[in-house]
Amino acid sequence: MAVTAYMVAAWMVAPGFYDGFGPVQPYNWTCPPPQAGANLKPSSGHLDIKVIGGVSDANSAFSNDGQVVIGFLPGAFDSTGKTTISVDVTPLPTCPQPAGIRLVTNVYQITASASLVKSANLVLRYSNLEPAPTDVYFASDPGGPWKSIGAAQQAQPFTIVTTTKLFGYFAAGYASASPPPGAVSVGGGQALPIVVAVLIGLVVLAGIPLAILRRRQSHGEAEEEGDV
Amino acid sequence: MLCIEWARASIQAQPYMAIPALVVGGAALGAVALGTPADRLGLGTSRLGLRILGGMALGAVLLLPAAVRSGSVPIMPAGLAFAAVAVSIGEELAFRGALYAALHEVGGAPLAIIGSTALWTAAHALSHPPAFLGAVAAAGLLLALWRWACRDLVGPVIGHVIADLAL
Repeated sequence: MAVTAYMVAAWMVAPGFYDGFGPVQPYNWTCPPPQAGANLKPSSGHLDIKVIGGVSDANSAFSNDGQVVIGFLPGAFDSTGKTTISVDVTPLPTCPQPAGIRLVTNVYQITASASLVKSANLVLRYSNLEPAPTDVYFASDPGGPWKSIGAAQQAQPFTIVTTTKLFGYFAAGYASASPPPGAVSVGGGQALPIVVAVLIGLVVLAGIPLAILRRRQSHGEAEEEGDV
Repeated sequence: MLCIEWARASIQAQPYMAIPALVVGGAALGAVALGTPADRLGLGTSRLGLRILGGMALGAVLLLPAAVRSGSVPIMPAGLAFAAVAVSIGEELAFRGALYAALHEVGGAPLAIIGSTALWTAAHALSHPPAFLGAVAAAGLLLALWRWACRDLVGPVIGHVIADLAL
């Protein structure tokens, strides 16, 4: 009965409830996965960077929901003849899934009115409803080709960080031929429900004999006490 | 225990604080069980194979709804794995270990099962939206019933660790 009660209760909420690693990491999806529940559309963002004395200011452009942040150092842009530089961050309304790559975030187009001469720091947030990404991928066209531009070793939880000297389309993901390295997994894919079902059978093999042995043991102890 | 869990949930929400909060919170909860004999906590090595098997089965039960619905469960970043193990063990030692034993002494099995489940659910009130608390309570009840039926805490610890690593 307890198992049934748990199944019913757990069925009513999204996975990730159990111990607060979840609840599900908030993320505004362009194409929400089935277990995401209610969803807000991702936001875009705009930034105007001042050019002072021919050098562009340090600043950061971000989407209004904070899912993408791109930071620029002083003089990061080729600002010849400009007084301001505009940067736009726009979520792509579609969700391309290039061959051999599993993208686990929205795809964002980042454009600017000047090209970069110094690398910009790019931070993408991701959700725990999907496997953690290992790389940030870049394409100059959403149809591809997509290529990895790597990721820094250190990042806040549920963020992935890299650098770029190009503008275009960005998303985080992993090579889909193999599970993401460094991730902790107890299974996955089509095999998981079968493995879980088999393991449930172990309740009978483990729980019932253990309970009987324990009860028999305590019954014996009680009888011994009664004999004294 | 409630204060530890609520403080853990509040600190965990701050930037860069998730892992320290989980590890320190788990250690603090584990410390609650210090001084309680291992057999009263439900710990021991007798029939260890069955206990471990039972823990795996409990973990499987806890994962089943997510597995059936999505085909695969969300995967935790490796950095959080150690923290997940720490807080899982700490919670089991505190709620189904020390608290269960104390309540059992006062009011027997019904009070121990209901009381530990109620406090476990309340402890998660700050870290989870209200919609999730039913599932948390049901999971707590399942683990507490195992603790009662098998007089064992090894199974709940293993099941909890497995579930936390995957969910």
